Amino acid sequence: MTSKKVTKRDVIKLLNQWRQEFAVFVPSIESGVATMARWEGKDTSFLDWYRNTVIPPKANFLPPMEEMFRFRKDREGYNIELPPDGEKQLIFGIRPCDARALAIIDANFRDLYQDPYYLSRRNSAVLVGLGCTNPHDSCFCTSLGVSPGESADVDLMLTDIGDEFLLEPISAAGKELIARSRGLKEVTKDDETRAKEIKETSYNKVTRKINAEGIGAKLLAGFDDQDYWEKVAAKCISCGICTLLCPTCYCFDINDELTKQQGTRFRSWDSCAFPIYTKMPMENPRQEKWRRVRQKVCHKFGFYPTNFNVIACTGCGRCIRLCPVNWDITQVLESVPLIETKRGKASNTL
Amino acid sequence: MEQRLRSKTRALLEQGKVDWIIGFEPGSLKFTTTPLITKDKNDTDRLVINPFIVNNLANFLTQVKGRVGIVVKGCDSRSVVSLIQDNKVAREDLVILGIPCTGVIDLSKIEKLVGKDRDELNDIAREGDKVIIRVNGKKKEFPTTQTLFDNCLACELPTPQEYDILLGEPSSPIANPAAQEGIKKLKQMTPEQRWIFWEGELSRCIRCYACRNVCPACFCQRCFVEETEPQWVFPAPRWQDNLIFQITRNIHVAGRCTDCGECERACPVNIPLRSLTREMYDIVGELFQFKAGMDKDAPPLMTHYEEKEAEDFFR
Repeated sequence: MTSKKVTKRDVIKLLNQWRQEFAVFVPSIESGVATMARWEGKDTSFLDWYRNTVIPPKANFLPPMEEMFRFRKDREGYNIELPPDGEKQLIFGIRPCDARALAIIDANFRDLYQDPYYLSRRNSAVLVGLGCTNPHDSCFCTSLGVSPGESADVDLMLTDIGDEFLLEPISAAGKELIARSRGLKEVTKDDETRAKEIKETSYNKVTRKINAEGIGAKLLAGFDDQDYWEKVAAKCISCGICTLLCPTCYCFDINDELTKQQGTRFRSWDSCAFPIYTKMPMENPRQEKWRRVRQKVCHKFGFYPTNFNVIACTGCGRCIRLCPVNWDITQVLESVPLIETKRGKASNTL
Repeated sequence: MEQRLRSKTRALLEQGKVDWIIGFEPGSLKFTTTPLITKDKNDTDRLVINPFIVNNLANFLTQVKGRVGIVVKGCDSRSVVSLIQDNKVAREDLVILGIPCTGVIDLSKIEKLVGKDRDELNDIAREGDKVIIRVNGKKKEFPTTQTLFDNCLACELPTPQEYDILLGEPSSPIANPAAQEGIKKLKQMTPEQRWIFWEGELSRCIRCYACRNVCPACFCQRCFVEETEPQWVFPAPRWQDNLIFQITRNIHVAGRCTDCGECERACPVNIPLRSLTREMYDIVGELFQFKAGMDKDAPPLMTHYEEKEAEDFFR
């Protein structure tokens, strides 16, 4: 199927059609922070301000906090009450980096353990991507195989060509969505040329770069270089911003809230930056900050590629933009020392 | 001022008077600086003083071992003094390099005034009582009273209170009562209205603890939120638990908070945390005639009592 287009002022009509079938989420600052929020049928302000959300769209699939189940004890034993299945979400305007991030963490949630909470939301969701025309100076997606204007990880990809969006079907679900959407217009040759130019321009606007080639092996080779990691970690304040707001960080904590005969089990975002993350009754293997910083970097660029064959970073730049002390992952990766130890040899492969 | 700082800090390291220098170097993004924590005298060439030195570097004092040369603004110097009062650091281990502060530029305010994000601007420069912004070949001017952080616009003591070397002439406060309107409005609300307000604000909290971790006054080895027996606060970010966290944190830093504003600046979800800390700061002043970090020899406010104190049960 070929692409279609829609004028920007008709986006509201399109979203209203989709709202019949999906819970539609759009970039919004209504809550006080930019996030993918439920669309209530009117707001199109994201057309004016949206570059990317502060809260990554992973929050729509792995919420900051969720009920796993409720339990109640009676004479027969425990009764477990599961929450209803996740609603069918349509995420409008997801950026290519964040869509890739979901594809990356799918590997974890679809592994030996199939996470029902994440997957029920993920499997029923439709992602409508929106290409970046104005990447942040902290973005470095192109170094990690992400193109700011294109995505293979969405169902439908939009390109801002001025007064209109070009809609390009990517998946079967995207094709079906286009087929049953009303009010779309045919695309001209000029529109397509223009979209192509816009994608190229935005690609070239991403000027921050890292050399991801062989980075995993380099990191693991320097794993025991305590001096290096202490230096890198010095200004880190061990807050959870760069992990909690990372679109590929998926760690969570589980806690029960109990009253006498019943309770609720919650899970909520957790971060390896916190000392308590690895705290055990007598021991904490990552009490020192440099060990935690090393874990974060090596998990994303070393362990995750080892386990799932993909780097767990998409260059969205949130960790750089939002860090209170300007701890910059791209500078850290640039400064990884080239040393060889028993753990591995630096090479040009992962 | 910058050249003097660089030569002084280099000399301090060369002469073995300090083991560490903690200062600011240029950040990796436009209009940012980043903490420089170093033992290497050559790194001192990168030290900067500019209107973007946001961090309160006193926060790093408790993590380095040995003698430290530290760069401070007015509020930061009081955090240092407060740490001395609490026996967290010793005065003789410090060489305090004071910057007479003329206020720090709040990039969020600039973004609102100009209608562009910080990385879209070409230049931001401070010229006297004006901030000059260059964007797409155009020049825009705003008074500092509209462009500095709210806490800077309420700062009474921009010149460091305790220092070994002062890197310039003492500076005067730049006040703007309008910058405190948010807090004033909150105080005029009924308790019910305030409750609804904070429910809205604290519902965004993701418990990253950046507010706690940027705060030099939050130096507990183990924070109460991490206690499990008893569990004072539920670990999931429910707004009621977020409220308990903020209220308790506030009470814990009473008498130590110097209104440096770092908690609010660090918050990634824009919770107006300074309206809590500033109110506490003012209450401390009113009830105890006490300002945090003014006198290194004075006993800390909350760990000390005197017979003449109002509460009978202390006697």
